[in-house]
Amino acid sequence: MTTSLASLSEDQRDCYQELTNVAKGQAADRLARLLNAYVILPIPKISMIENSDLNMAIQGAHADSRVSAVCQGFIGSGIAGEAMLLFNDTSFASLASLMKYKGPLNKQSELELLMDTASVLIGACIHGIGEQLEINFNQGHPVVLGQHCDVEELLKQGQNSWNKTLAIEIHYTIEHVNIECELLLLFTENSVRTLNKKIDYLLD
Amino acid sequence: MNLNVLICDDSSFARKQMARALPPEWSVDVHFASDGVEGVEAIRGGKGDVVFLDLTMPNLDGYGVLEAIRKDDLPAMVIVVSGDIQPDAQERVKSLGAMAFIKKPIDADKARTVLSKYGIMTGA
Repeated sequence: MTTSLASLSEDQRDCYQELTNVAKGQAADRLARLLNAYVILPIPKISMIENSDLNMAIQGAHADSRVSAVCQGFIGSGIAGEAMLLFNDTSFASLASLMKYKGPLNKQSELELLMDTASVLIGACIHGIGEQLEINFNQGHPVVLGQHCDVEELLKQGQNSWNKTLAIEIHYTIEHVNIECELLLLFTENSVRTLNKKIDYLLD
Repeated sequence: MNLNVLICDDSSFARKQMARALPPEWSVDVHFASDGVEGVEAIRGGKGDVVFLDLTMPNLDGYGVLEAIRKDDLPAMVIVVSGDIQPDAQERVKSLGAMAFIKKPIDADKARTVLSKYGIMTGA
């Protein structure tokens, strides 16, 4: 049985946001160097989110577009979660050109681009958050959730056995080109308590 | 008279982290601002001889603060402390007149290194 989680205090939210800012910046730096471009960094969104709201949030952001997505689990020090990278399908042409990818753009090459970007962004972000909290996260294998699908189809696959959890949403866009993706970090309900304790310790 | 140090960051956690990272033996008066507008105001009010400046902030961001300092020739030594560590961001703040760039997360060693490197705190 799980008791429902209280909402975050303003200080806790601020702290999560700042930790994410730093981690997101490290990930953006890796991507910027890879693509030789400037990554625009809006302030990340931190929220305690209900299962149903999450679907709405993702669908809202990508209502009219086809997306490709990868997810990757991470675990360490009693904290477990899932990172999910959603890629706007319109991004692939620009991404291929920035990565100096030669050859035709097909499902296979797009998959490679997707996996390369995901490994940079997810890896650096998870590592960055872990480092600040002194947690060594181990990452699972990345799994492709789908290529060129409706967000709705994509979300149907999920197990959705949780009620309310901590969600960190990070939106990345690249300056001057049409590349857009969304990184979502979701923690299991049980992890949030442990995480909050770590956060409270930092705030102390 | 003590040196006035201004910590300008929209995150209260980051401001606290920055304040904690200052060398304890450095006798300064520490002031805080939670966005760029407040920051520029504080600098005009003489509270920012040394400024630790975040880049991503609401209302007026760190770049805007640097521009305001340059435009009005305000007497502030600015050290940018940022989570945006892309090469472009580092070059841009240097070209806008920032003295140094520290990558977040800040800690006592990083603060001390910069303060001594630029001779802001003698004997650091």
